Amino acid sequence: MAEKESRQSRRDFLQVFTRGAPLGLALFGAAAVFVRNVLAYLFPERKVKKYHRYLVAREGEIPLGQAKRLIIGGKPVFVVHLEDGYKVFSGICTHLGCIVRWEKEKERFYCPCHKGVFNKRGEVVSGPPPEPLVPFRVERESGLVFMYVEEKIKGPWS
Amino acid sequence: MKLKDWILERFPIDFQKFVEINERIFIKEPIPLHMKKWFYCMGATPLILFGFQLVTGILLTFYFVPSPEMAYESVRHITEDVRFGFWIRGIHRWGSNLMIIALLLHMTRVFFTRAYQKPREINWMIGVALFMLTLTFAFTGYSLTYNQLSYWATTVGTNMIREVPLVGEWLFLFLRGGEDVSANTLTRFYTIHIGFLPPILILLIALHILILRIQGVSEPEGYPKGHYSFYPHHFYKIIIATLFLLTLLTTLSVIYPPGLGEPANPAVTPPHIKPEWYFFPVYRFLKLVPLRVGIFSVALFLVGMTFWPFIEPWIAREKRRRIVLGYVVGSLVLISTLALTFWETVEM
Amino acid sequence: MDTVKAQQWLIGIFSVLLIVSLLIVAGVEMKKSRSFKPEIDVNETTAKCINCHEKKGVAVKLIDEWKESQHAVQGIGCLECHEAKEGDFDAFRCPESEFLIGKHPNPNDCAKCHEDQVKEFANSKHAVAQVMMALKGPDRNVFEPTLSTKHGCEQCHNIGNYWPDGAIGECDACHSKHRFSIAQARRPETCGECHIGPDHPHIEIYLESKHGNLYSTFASEWDWNYDPGQPVPFNAPTCATCHMSATSTGQKSTHNVSERLSWESQAPFSVRTQKYWGGLTWQEKQKNMLAVCYQCHSKSFADRYILTADLVNLQYNEIWKATIDWMKRLRKRGVIATTEFAFAGQNITAWPKEGYDEEVEQEAYRNWHHEGRRFRHGAMMMGADYTQWHGIWELQENLVKIIEYGAEHGVPEARAWRNSKDPNKFVKLYPLYDIPGSTWGPSALAFRGNMPMDRLKNYWEVVYQNVKTAYEKGLLTDEQWQLYTKLYENREKEIGRVYELPPIHEEYLQNLRIDLKELYPQQKLQLRKFE
Repeated sequence: MAEKESRQSRRDFLQVFTRGAPLGLALFGAAAVFVRNVLAYLFPERKVKKYHRYLVAREGEIPLGQAKRLIIGGKPVFVVHLEDGYKVFSGICTHLGCIVRWEKEKERFYCPCHKGVFNKRGEVVSGPPPEPLVPFRVERESGLVFMYVEEKIKGPWS
Repeated sequence: MKLKDWILERFPIDFQKFVEINERIFIKEPIPLHMKKWFYCMGATPLILFGFQLVTGILLTFYFVPSPEMAYESVRHITEDVRFGFWIRGIHRWGSNLMIIALLLHMTRVFFTRAYQKPREINWMIGVALFMLTLTFAFTGYSLTYNQLSYWATTVGTNMIREVPLVGEWLFLFLRGGEDVSANTLTRFYTIHIGFLPPILILLIALHILILRIQGVSEPEGYPKGHYSFYPHHFYKIIIATLFLLTLLTTLSVIYPPGLGEPANPAVTPPHIKPEWYFFPVYRFLKLVPLRVGIFSVALFLVGMTFWPFIEPWIAREKRRRIVLGYVVGSLVLISTLALTFWETVEM
Repeated sequence: MDTVKAQQWLIGIFSVLLIVSLLIVAGVEMKKSRSFKPEIDVNETTAKCINCHEKKGVAVKLIDEWKESQHAVQGIGCLECHEAKEGDFDAFRCPESEFLIGKHPNPNDCAKCHEDQVKEFANSKHAVAQVMMALKGPDRNVFEPTLSTKHGCEQCHNIGNYWPDGAIGECDACHSKHRFSIAQARRPETCGECHIGPDHPHIEIYLESKHGNLYSTFASEWDWNYDPGQPVPFNAPTCATCHMSATSTGQKSTHNVSERLSWESQAPFSVRTQKYWGGLTWQEKQKNMLAVCYQCHSKSFADRYILTADLVNLQYNEIWKATIDWMKRLRKRGVIATTEFAFAGQNITAWPKEGYDEEVEQEAYRNWHHEGRRFRHGAMMMGADYTQWHGIWELQENLVKIIEYGAEHGVPEARAWRNSKDPNKFVKLYPLYDIPGSTWGPSALAFRGNMPMDRLKNYWEVVYQNVKTAYEKGLLTDEQWQLYTKLYENREKEIGRVYELPPIHEEYLQNLRIDLKELYPQQKLQLRKFE
C-alpha cells in the first residue's frame, strides 16, 4: 500500500490539477477568495463622499470682480463675484500645492512658489500650473451664496 | 535558458542532492501506519492554528493602536468599521481558543499513549514549554483590547506573579513597567505578544518538529509495523484539516462575532470578574487555599509536569507499575482540571 | 476512507465549504456601537464672537447649543442671524468690537433663509395669538391684574408677537434657540407648553388617547430626526403629525397649523373655518385632515369618527345657545345684576360670555371657555374622559346650577324645570343631534338601556331632521350627509338591539345583582361613635 502510493510522483501531482481540474479549481478558488478578503481588509474603504451646503457670502457682500477668502476644513477657499454669478475655488495651487494669494488690484490669483498666475475665473494665465483652480459647486438662494462642502466626521479614523 | 540552470549558474548547489534531500525529508518521510487513523494524526493542528494566528495577528497590527486611549477604540474600529475586520479579529480570537483546546487534546493524547518515555523526554519538555508560551500568548493577547476584563486580568495576573518567590517582585515590575497598570504595561504586553514571544515559539516549534523527525513518531503498541510516505496521504490530511479549521473559524466569527465588552475603568471592578476559561482551574484552585500555598502548589505542579518523563520511572521501576502510575496520575490531573473548570464556570 | 481519492474528495468538499463561508463573511455587517459627529467649520466673524464671549463668560452655553445645530454645520453663524442695521429696535453695539448686532432676531431674520415657513406661519391662527389676547381678551384686560398676566397669558400668546419692525411671530417658540432642534419641535410636549390646561387640555387629551398611549410606549424607538418634508415614520401620530407633517397620502408638510382645521372649535359657537386661514375652504381642510387619518385608519372608520365629532360640535352649539337663553331669562327677571362692562362709551366685555362677577356668570363662562372646549376637543381627539367627565357632565351641571339659581330667585321657568319629574328634562333643554350606533362597532347591549330614544316620541325622525337642517345650512359635506343617511336607514342594526345577547349575560346580571345585595349588608356594622 505504502509503496504504491509513494510512486505518485510530481507528474501525477500535477496531473491531479489537470485531470482532477475541479479539485484544483476548488482549492484555487478558496485561496483566491481568502486573498480577496484579506486585501479588502487591508485597503480602507473609499467612503461615498457626502456633501452639505455651507454659507459663504451674502449678495452684495463681495463687490463685483472681487474675492473673499475663507478657511474650510483647515484649507483656504475663495469666493469670487463674477458678472455671470459666483464661483468658489480651492486656494491650493494645482502645480505643487502652495496656497495662492488673491491680488485685489490685478483681480487675479498669484502663487508665490513658482510664479503661477490664475485669472479671476480660476483659469491658468501663466506659469507652471497644469490645471485651473479646483472649483466647488455653488448655489444661490434667497440672496445667499452657498458652496457644497465635503462632510467630514470628527474622529480618529478620518 | 531554464530558470533552474540560471540559478545553478550562480549558486553552487548540488541539484541532485537537493532533490534527494527534499524527497527524503519532505515527500517520502516515513510515517508509521497507525497515523492513518484521524485520532492519531492531528498533532499538526496546533501548528496550523498558530499559522492562522500569525497571519491574522500581523493583519491586526495594521489597525491596532497600543495606547490606553486608543486601544479599545481601535479594536472597536476593526470590529465594526473596517471591512472584514470582524472576520480577521474573529479568527484571531476563536483561533486562540481553539489552539489551546487543540494543545490540550494533543497533550492528552501524547500522555495517554505514553509518547513521553525515553528517548522522547526532551521533546516532552519542549512541548510543555510550548504550552506555557501559548498560555502567555493568550494572556498578553486579551489584555490588549483594554476592556474591563483586560485591565483587571492584567492587574490580578501581575499581582499573582508578584507572589512567586525570589523573582516575583522583579517580574511584577518588569511586566507592569512600574508600580501601576499604565500605558507602559499595555505597550510591554504588546511588544511581548508580537515581538518577543513569536520568534521564541517558532524556534521551539521548529525544534519540536526537528526532534520528532529525527526520532520518528512514537508508535503505540498493538498496531501493525510499517510506514507510508508523508506525501500524498498525510499531506492531504493536513490540507483537509487546514480547510476545515479555516471554515470553522470563519463560521464561528459570523455566528459568534468577537465582542467588545465595557471599556477599561480603573475605578470600578466588575462584580463578576473572571479570567478566560483556560485559566479557570488555577483561578478556582487559588480561591481554595492561601495565596502563597497556591502559587507554590502551581509551581510544583508545573515542575512535575515538565519533568514527568524522569519522575515516572524514578517512582515506579517495574514497567506495569509505571504504566498504571502514568494512567492514574494522568486521569487524576484531567479529572481535577475538568472539575475545577466546571466548578468555576457554573459559579457566579 | 483512507484512500487518496477519498482524501481528494474531502479536499474538494472542504474547499467549497470554505469558499461559501468566506463569501458569507462578505455580507455580514457589524452593528455600530458609536457614531461620530460632523466637523464644524467656524467662519471668521463667528470665531470672533465665540472668542470674546468665551473670554467674558457671557452666555457661553449657547455656543455649545449652536454647535449642535444644523446651522453650525452649514456655516450659519452668529452674524447671519444677529446682524443689525443702525436704528433697528434691538440694535446693540458689542462692547470692544466693531459689531452692531440685533439682540433679538425675529421672523424677519429667519425669513432670510426660511421664507416659506414664515409665510405659512403668518397665514395661520398662531400668528393672531397675540391679537386675541390683546384685543379680545377681557380675561386679561378686565378680570385680572396686569402684572399677573406677564408670566401667564403673554408667555404663550407671544407666539403671535407683533415686533416693532413689523415681523410677526416667534419661530423659536417650538424649536428653541440656539439648537433649533427639529426633534424638539416635533415632540408633543413642545406643543403642550401652551396647549394645556382646563380651557384647552390638548396635551392631556392626547396623552389620554390611544395615539398618546402609543406615543408613551414607543416614542423612545422613533427617529425624531427624520428628513423634513417626508411622511412621518412613526407608528402613532403626534400633534405635528396630524396638524403639520407630510403624509404618505399626499399631504405636504406645512407651518400653517390652520390648513387642516375645519372647525373654529375654540370659539363660543363652533363655526366652520373661513377660507382665509390656510387659504382653503373648510371642506378642503377636512379632506386634508382625513388624509392624515387614512394613513392608518380605514376610510369607513375615519369618516364616521369625524362625522360623530362634527355632530358633537353642532350639539355643543345648541347647549351654548341654551346657556345663553337661560342667562337671558335670569337677567330679564332681574336675577343677574351685571351685563356688559363699558369704558368711555365702548363695551369692553360681551355678555353672557364675560360676566365675571357672579357665580352664574362664571358658570356660563366656563360652559363656553372651559367645559365647552373640553367637550368638543375631547370628542375630536379621542380624549374620552375630557369629553365626558370634564366635558358634557360639567356642561350639564353648570346648566343645572344656572337654572337652580334662577329657581331660587323666583324665575318661574327655572322653578318649573327644577320641580319637573320628567326624566327627559335634561335632554329637553336643547335640540338634539344623534347618530345611530357607535364608531367602534356594533354592540348588542350598548343602547339597550332605557334611553332618550325610547322615551321620546319620534326620536329618530326629529334627530334626523335636525341633522338635515344643519347639512342644508352647509355645515356638513355631501359625503357626510350620505354616510349619515346610510346609518340612519340602517339604524336598527346600528343600534344593535336586534342582536341576541350572549348566553353569559344572565350570569353577569345575576352576579351584579348579588354584588349590590352583598354591598349593603356588608356595611351594616355595629360601630361605636364618640358622643
